[in-house]
Parts: sequence; structure tokens; C-alpha cells
Amino acid sequence: MNAERVGGLVGFAFGAVVMFGTYHLGLGTLQAPGSGFLGFLAGAFVMLMALLVLVQTYLGRGNQTKLSALWKDTTWWRPATVAFLILLYVLAMERLGFLLTSLLFMLVIFKWVERFPWLKAIVVTSSAVAFAHLLFRIFLKAPLPQGIVGF
Amino acid sequence: MDFFAHIVTGFSIAGTWTNLFFCFVGVFFGTLVGVLPGIGPLATMAILLPVTFGMPPTTAIIMLSGIYYGAYYGGSTTSILVNIPGEAASVITSLDGYKMALDGRAGPALGIAAFGSFIAGTLGLIALQAVSPALVTVALKFGAPEYFSLMILGLIALTFLAEKSMIKALMVAAVGVILGTIGLDSMTGASRFTFDIPDLMDGIGIVPMAMGLFGITEIFLNLEKQIQRSVMYAKLTGLLPSFQDWMDSKWAILRGTVVGFGLGMLPGGGGVIASFASYAVEKMCSKHPEKFGYGAIQGVAGPESANNAAASAGFVPLLTLGIPVGAVQAILLGALMIHGITPGPMLLQQHPDVFWGVIASMYIGNVMLLILNLPLIGLWVKILKIPYGLLFPMILFFCIIGAYTVNNSTMDVAIMLLFGVVGYLMKKLNYEPAPMILAFVLSPILERSLRQSLLMSSGSFKIFFTAPISLGCLILAAVLLILPLLPGIRKKREEIVSMEEDAS
Repeated sequence: MNAERVGGLVGFAFGAVVMFGTYHLGLGTLQAPGSGFLGFLAGAFVMLMALLVLVQTYLGRGNQTKLSALWKDTTWWRPATVAFLILLYVLAMERLGFLLTSLLFMLVIFKWVERFPWLKAIVVTSSAVAFAHLLFRIFLKAPLPQGIVGF
Repeated sequence: MDFFAHIVTGFSIAGTWTNLFFCFVGVFFGTLVGVLPGIGPLATMAILLPVTFGMPPTTAIIMLSGIYYGAYYGGSTTSILVNIPGEAASVITSLDGYKMALDGRAGPALGIAAFGSFIAGTLGLIALQAVSPALVTVALKFGAPEYFSLMILGLIALTFLAEKSMIKALMVAAVGVILGTIGLDSMTGASRFTFDIPDLMDGIGIVPMAMGLFGITEIFLNLEKQIQRSVMYAKLTGLLPSFQDWMDSKWAILRGTVVGFGLGMLPGGGGVIASFASYAVEKMCSKHPEKFGYGAIQGVAGPESANNAAASAGFVPLLTLGIPVGAVQAILLGALMIHGITPGPMLLQQHPDVFWGVIASMYIGNVMLLILNLPLIGLWVKILKIPYGLLFPMILFFCIIGAYTVNNSTMDVAIMLLFGVVGYLMKKLNYEPAPMILAFVLSPILERSLRQSLLMSSGSFKIFFTAPISLGCLILAAVLLILPLLPGIRKKREEIVSMEEDAS
């Protein structure tokens, strides 16, 4: 499918959802606008602009690239992997604690995403986490989570 | 008399050891990220924002501002020496700067870039000092309708100046407005799009959002392509430009300063547009336009002066009207608000220390950059050789900790990730994320002024057309909306866009 059309459709759907949600929040009146007033107008505007993008694609204007072509000849799996690892970090940080989660996170990136040799990956990971520990926990006294292991 | 009294006050604040130290930290980090492609001043400011929480507000803004204008200096160094613009505003500098370096004139190119930046930055600051109090006098007359119309003008000007597709930019700006309404409604107390998540009651934080849209997005985009850096270090000979270089560059520096300051005050203007516009102006004014692209020193002096003047100019609407003209100013606005200071016409009266202290620190920062940059050029080039595989996990890690420490909440890290993915997909589909963050910051002011105006007028939209300032802003906004439809303007916009694409 045409990439521009996908963008337009996503925008159109987003605008529609916002209009629906803000309508239920209450639009109020012109004399006393409610909580959903501005959001409703902005949602309608997003839908209108998305519609213009869609119309342009049918008129053959603008970029005609296919969606799949945007990822052709790219190593798309690398950003996808890193995004997944950040998600795991978010889920694990408060349970496992800052130090353990960070060590695992950085080690996985250096060893398996960047394919560093073991020794280099361990040295770089430990240095980065130790520096962050010193800077944020010791120097700036940021209350980073300790987790079940207690550090 | 007042003018000099304010300067003295400013220097007495900026000249304390603490402020001098953090000014140095700011310009040092700024130069560093200006040198390094893959991380910009915006992401750095967002990462370091939590570090400033324990500082006095003036110190915090001094450091964050230093990162901003320091990045422009750093960007020019690598543009000239190794043809790698570390920062978007220096892309155009590489066209002639690198050619000069190849011809054995790297020294004069770097020298004129540094001196031009210094002169333009300083002249820009003088203009900032002169313009701001006058603008404050006007701004004090602003009521809700004027603010609403000004916000509309700001958002439309941003989309007019900065984007390839104005329709897409307007759509992204509207999404930013919607995101800015998330959280408790300050007028009714109703919770909006919070999905019963306590962390969202205060709305989305600007720090995780900016880190996601600019820091994480940049990392994702760099990860999917192979970055190959061939760092060819052109040999340096004599950093001081010759008398002839000065003669050739003097008008370019002055014209660059005027163009940069003028464009820098407009929403969306910023250093990138200013540097491209200055290059076009210099080529137009030159008796030998055919030399541009082949080592014309005016092609370095003009754009470098313009982007530094634009950096100073961006503070005018921020400090006087409370309106950020770009994403960087949006972060500064967020930083001020976190420190309990609302930028706007009252800032000059309520917090003169912040206003004049920050301005004075920029003079000092410009001198520091001039002294710092020339002797440290060798170091910056070495830093460029750090492989991206080593660099990005560090940037990512510090983004995660930075986002977490804002509220000690993993929700902020999740929000950062979400906006990182959103920003990546937007970039892939040719949507620029900058209007989103600007509209997000302006959204609460926009909403409050709209609702207050309608309350004042008993629901009549006429109020926006009867107040002269408001009407003027709306007319200007309408003109900006219509202009791209004119064939001549459309052609010019397309030319600038293709010039930007060719250069990058």
C-alpha cells in the first residue's frame, strides 16, 4: 500500500478517536466551553488534514513510495530489537533493581546487537553502569530502584 | 542608563563561580554534541534537564542555553574538517568549508566560522537586549484574545517555514495540541485521556516526550542504516583569517547576522532555515556566485553567523512573550516552568536575575567557545572517531536514566519509548516531529486563552477580530496559509527543500 495513504489513514483514525473521546468529555457551549472543546476542534482538524493527504494520494501527487519500500535494504530488526529491550527494561527495572537491569540491558546490546567480543562487552558495560551509578545514585542522590536483590 | 545597569547586574549574576562553571559545562557539552552526529542539542538538553533540578533556575538555564549555542560552534568544526555536519544548522557550511579545507585553507575556514559566530552571537545578544524590553511593553497589553491569535500565528508560521508539506505539518501540530490537553483540566478538574493512570494526571512530561521524539528516534533511524564514517583530517595551518579573508567576509557576517536574527525570532525559523537563507543571500549578492560550492569563504561566514544570530534571537519571543519558536526553546520553557518561573512579559519584572543573568552568560559563553574551540579542534576530531556501536548504547542508557529520574517513574521511560517509536514512524512517513512538541507546549496557553476569550465575549468569535493586535496576528496567519498556494512561493519552497536534501 502507498505509504502516504497509510499515514493519512492513521491520522484520520486518530482524529476520529479524539473527536469521539472529547465529545464524551463534554463540549460545553460557546459561552462556556467544556473540557473536550479544544480537543474536539483539534481532532476535527487532524481528520480534515488527513483527508487532504488521502485525496492527494488519489490524485497522484506527493510521494508514491510503497510502505514496504520504506524498510527495504535497511537493518530494521536492529531498532525493533532495541525498542523491545527498552520495553523489557521498563518492566524489569523496579523488580530487579537499577544495577542488575542496567547490566543485563547494556550487555545484551553490546554482545548481541553490536556483536562485541565478550571481554570488550563486559568491560564497556561495567564501566558505563558504574559511571551512571556514581553520577546518579552517589553524586546526584537520585532514588533509583533497588529491586529484590537490594542494589 | 538602564541598559548599562542591566548589563552590570547580568554580569554580576553570570560571573559567579557556580554560573561560570555551569556555563562552561553547557558550552563544552554543546560543542561535544555539535561534533557528534546522532545526538543533537535537543536530546542533550532533555537528558541533562533532570540534572538541573537541584540548581537555582538561573544556573539551570545558563547551562541549558550553553548547550544550545555551543552545538552550533561544534557543528561547524566537523563540517569544515571532515565534511560531517554534526548538527543540521551546519549542513550548508560543509559545502564551501570542506572545499576550503581540501585546498589547505582549513584554518581560515575554521577561524572565520568561529569569529563570525562570535560576532553574530554578540550582535544578536545586543539586539536581544534592545528589542526585549520594548516587546515586553507591547506584550503587557496582551489579553486572552491576543494570546490566542498569537499562538495560532506561531503554529502556522512554524508549519510555513519549517516543513516540506504544510498539510502534514499542520496535522502534526494539531496532534501536539491534543496531546497537550491530556491530564486534569485546570478549569473543570475533569481528567482527559488519562485512562485512570495516575502518572498521566499531570499530563505527559515534556522531558520524556522530547527525549523520545528527538533522542530515541534518532537512534532508531541510525540503527537501521550502516553508518560509515571516513574521518579525513585536513591538516591545519594558521587559524587566523588573513586581511583579505576579513575583507571578503565582513558583509557576509553582517548580512548573516541580520538574516539570522530576523528568521530566528519567527516560530520555526531557527538556525537551520537561517543558515540556508543566508547562503542563498550571499550567493545572490556575490559578484562571483559560480565560486559558491567550490570554497567561497562567504559561504562559510554567512551561514555560520546566521545560525548563531538565530540562536540569540530565539530567546526574544521566549523570554518576552513566553512563546517558544522551536523545540529547543520549548525545552527551555519546560525547564523554566519546572523551576516555578513562567516566561512572559512579567519575567523581566519578577525575575530580572534570570533574564539578565542568562543574557550576560551568553556573552561569556561566546568568549569561552572562541577560546575553547580553536585549541581543542584535534580533540573534537578524535571524538568523531568513536564508533556509533559504542556511542548509541551510552546515549540510550542515559536517556533511560534521565527520563526515569524526572519523576522516579518507569511510566516516563515507557512514554519516552512510545514517542521514540512514534517519531521513528513519523520520520519514515515524512512527517516532521518538531511541530508536535511546539504545539504540545503551547496547547495549555492556547486552550486557556480560547476559553477565557469565549467567556469574555459570551461565546462570540468576533472578539478575535475586534482587538487590533489579535486581528493583525490572524491576518498574518491567513497570509501565511495562503502564500504556499501561490506558484512562485511554492517553487521557492521546493527549491529550498531540495537544496536541504542535496546538502544532507
